[in-house]
Amino acid sequence: MTMTMRLSAALLGAAMIAGTAGPSFAQSGEVNIYSYREPGLIQPLLDKFSAATGVKATVLYAGDGLLERVAAEGELSPVDVVLTVDIGNLVGAKTQGLTQPITTAALAERLSPEFRDAEGHWAALSLRARVFYVSKDRVDATALTYEDIAKPEWKGRLCTRPGDHAYNIGLVANRIAAWGEDKTRTWLTAVRDNMSAPPAGNDRAQVKAILEGSCDLAIANTYYMGLMLTNDAEPEQKDWAASARIVYPDAEGEGTQVNAAGAFIAKHAPNLENANKLVEFLLSDEAQQLYADANYEYPAVTSVKPAELTQSWGALNPSKVSLTATADFRDEAAALIDELKFNEGAQAQ
Amino acid sequence: MLPPVSAIVLLALMGLPILWLAVAALDTTGAGGLAAAMLPTALRETATLMAWVGLITGILGLVSAWLVTHFEFPGRRIFEWALVLPLAIPTYLAAYTYVEFLDFTGPIQQALRAIIGGQTIKDYWFPQIKSPTGAAFVLSMVLYPYVYASCRAFFVMQSGSISAAARTLGAGGFRAFFSVTLPLSRPALVVGITLAMMEVVNDLGAVQYFGVNSLTAVIYSTWINRSNFGGAAQLAVMIVLIIGLLILLEQWARRDRVYALHRDSRVAPPREQLVGAERALAIGFCTILLLLGFGIPVGELLVLALRNLGPDALGLTLTAGLTTVTLAALGAFITVCVGLIAARLARSRSAHGLVRIATLGYAIPGTVLALGLLQPLGQADLWFNRLTMAVAHWRPGLILSGSIAALLYVYAIRFLAVSHSTIDAAMKKRGDTMLDAGRVLGVTGWRLLLRVDLPTLSPALLTAATLVFVEIVKELPATLLLRPLGVETLATVVYARANVSLFTEAALPALTIVLVGLVPVILSTRFSDRR
Repeated sequence: MTMTMRLSAALLGAAMIAGTAGPSFAQSGEVNIYSYREPGLIQPLLDKFSAATGVKATVLYAGDGLLERVAAEGELSPVDVVLTVDIGNLVGAKTQGLTQPITTAALAERLSPEFRDAEGHWAALSLRARVFYVSKDRVDATALTYEDIAKPEWKGRLCTRPGDHAYNIGLVANRIAAWGEDKTRTWLTAVRDNMSAPPAGNDRAQVKAILEGSCDLAIANTYYMGLMLTNDAEPEQKDWAASARIVYPDAEGEGTQVNAAGAFIAKHAPNLENANKLVEFLLSDEAQQLYADANYEYPAVTSVKPAELTQSWGALNPSKVSLTATADFRDEAAALIDELKFNEGAQAQ
Repeated sequence: MLPPVSAIVLLALMGLPILWLAVAALDTTGAGGLAAAMLPTALRETATLMAWVGLITGILGLVSAWLVTHFEFPGRRIFEWALVLPLAIPTYLAAYTYVEFLDFTGPIQQALRAIIGGQTIKDYWFPQIKSPTGAAFVLSMVLYPYVYASCRAFFVMQSGSISAAARTLGAGGFRAFFSVTLPLSRPALVVGITLAMMEVVNDLGAVQYFGVNSLTAVIYSTWINRSNFGGAAQLAVMIVLIIGLLILLEQWARRDRVYALHRDSRVAPPREQLVGAERALAIGFCTILLLLGFGIPVGELLVLALRNLGPDALGLTLTAGLTTVTLAALGAFITVCVGLIAARLARSRSAHGLVRIATLGYAIPGTVLALGLLQPLGQADLWFNRLTMAVAHWRPGLILSGSIAALLYVYAIRFLAVSHSTIDAAMKKRGDTMLDAGRVLGVTGWRLLLRVDLPTLSPALLTAATLVFVEIVKELPATLLLRPLGVETLATVVYARANVSLFTEAALPALTIVLVGLVPVILSTRFSDRR
């Protein structure tokens, strides 16, 4: 028995030593961030923030699982600000009780009401339109509606990333909010059966499939066009992008689905003041311009203009369905995508 | 003899994530039905992938092992050790490199278009690499060494007189293969295939990249994209059941068999000299296999790494490499300590079964382990902080979750089997006489472990530490979900870059992972040469 106790004591000791190597706590002059956004975009923003305020910013970047982690860490979590993509994550974080109101006056001053939580629990920082990339060579249409891509003429010509990715869940949720579940089910079934292959890969991979010739219309977010066209690290992506042009779905009708990337302050943020400072900075003209120029997104602060390249793809007419209305149908959308086995691609009839 | 209480503690510590998930799976409130919607798809796609990988690795592994042990041909001695090299390549790296290589913009299709003058993929026929079939092919190319190694070891131990007898009776070459070699090697074949299939179930990076809805991929998305922890737990329990079946299968294959002939150590099995077309065929087969499993992935990594070699890539690799080495060294140390304790405990009849269950973490996907650890560790931290708050008005903050401790813990669970089996084998080989001598001199319990086991087992401990070290360097899914703020390992860097289509930036870190992975392969060939 004593050995067991000694073993536990030793394990505990080891754990505590390891613990001290982890993040340190609540010292003034720092802010901890969990980010779904890639370091290439976020790091320059944070460098500017640190230079302007003297606050040291530490980031944990992960494509997935950060909300789950904030929840598991509870009141001891070291995180102050969470940067996420997808409105569903922002609204979901509030519902799960992971957030607290943002108190900086900049929130209401800079953002119009549809881009922030009514009680200040989250702020949109940038907007991303989910659009159609069509082949320059094989598609003539300059205007397309959502209903159009469900037509038989698109059979074997559509592609997108897996249906259970947050971006596609957001798109389907937006359709449910606009059309109701029945019409969306019929539409999504037809879209599924128009797929060229079972969905795989990310948004850029779909545009590559247009160059490859296996797909004529890809559903993907606009800013990837800018990121690929200007990608000097992997210049071959310029060819992918050059094979396609953007059509804003339903641009002349009800408008194109728009999702948001944003931020919330964690309920148990140890550096509350710095967290608010960071949100304020992210809403500043300087930061918003960086979202527009470095990542080709639409600034959430509407007085800041999108990059010229972004504007060259056409005018964005955002969907009449609000961001939060879309988020409300997220669970229904995910269930529908599973029910229709969207990820298995076109089904034999 | 140590008290079995230690064995129970060990089992509880190692089994915590699975236990937690089993309880969570019972929670069918909320959106539990979502898991059911994806279950048939996930089961079917997982089973199909496992079946294909089992078939392909079975054929390739068995034939290559048969060739290098039964025949003599130029290069045989090199192939004999080189054929295990693909084990150094993690499945996710194989996936990324093969897509770069075989995709539309890769060198093969570019050359094809240059020759036949096509513009798009519809102008010629080429298999789609990002598909379930592509996944089965690529995974098999790096997993066949499991079958190769287990069959080769079996053939080397086998009596040469069996195939000699077959030949005397007029059954040469291929007939001897089908009527003697194949039936005899069935146990080794099943063991190898089972190991390969376990890797398939464990994989996350490759199946996600290829768009296969495998159970592990669906668990991940059910938890992350559908925010349904209960559903993910249900699927995770399903995986544990499948793995349990595989383990039973492996045990069945390993069950004691009685052979009329035992290998006479003085006579090595005679190898038939191959000539002419047969010789060319044998050389060609082994060369192509090695090229597909090792040459292409490593070559592609080299090309990409050189193309992108600069201060950025070097800095990234160095920073992530340093973190990885620190984590792997700490993890190896702890896992070997636990493995030593486990091996010691397993000597007692009463604790033997418990220890075996405790080592099953090796078969559980890292995603599942991380899923099962996140919540209990968070809870433990909360209780501990409330305790210190009540007693001393002081909060130490997160100790277990979101710190290196969580990672070291999950590594210990996942790789205990690696360290335990190495140490256990060495203990059996050493025998008990030294322990008896120690006891006669009045040394017992923990002191026996420290004063006798540690010095006499040090070579095995070093081997175990090396193996665990490499496994940690390659580990992706658990590290991804449990790592502390600001910690990036080589594997997470590669995963993040590949996910945003920036794999070129990750080529150098990826190459580093492979180089580290070569260490145990080289070590194991050294050991077998010495024998």
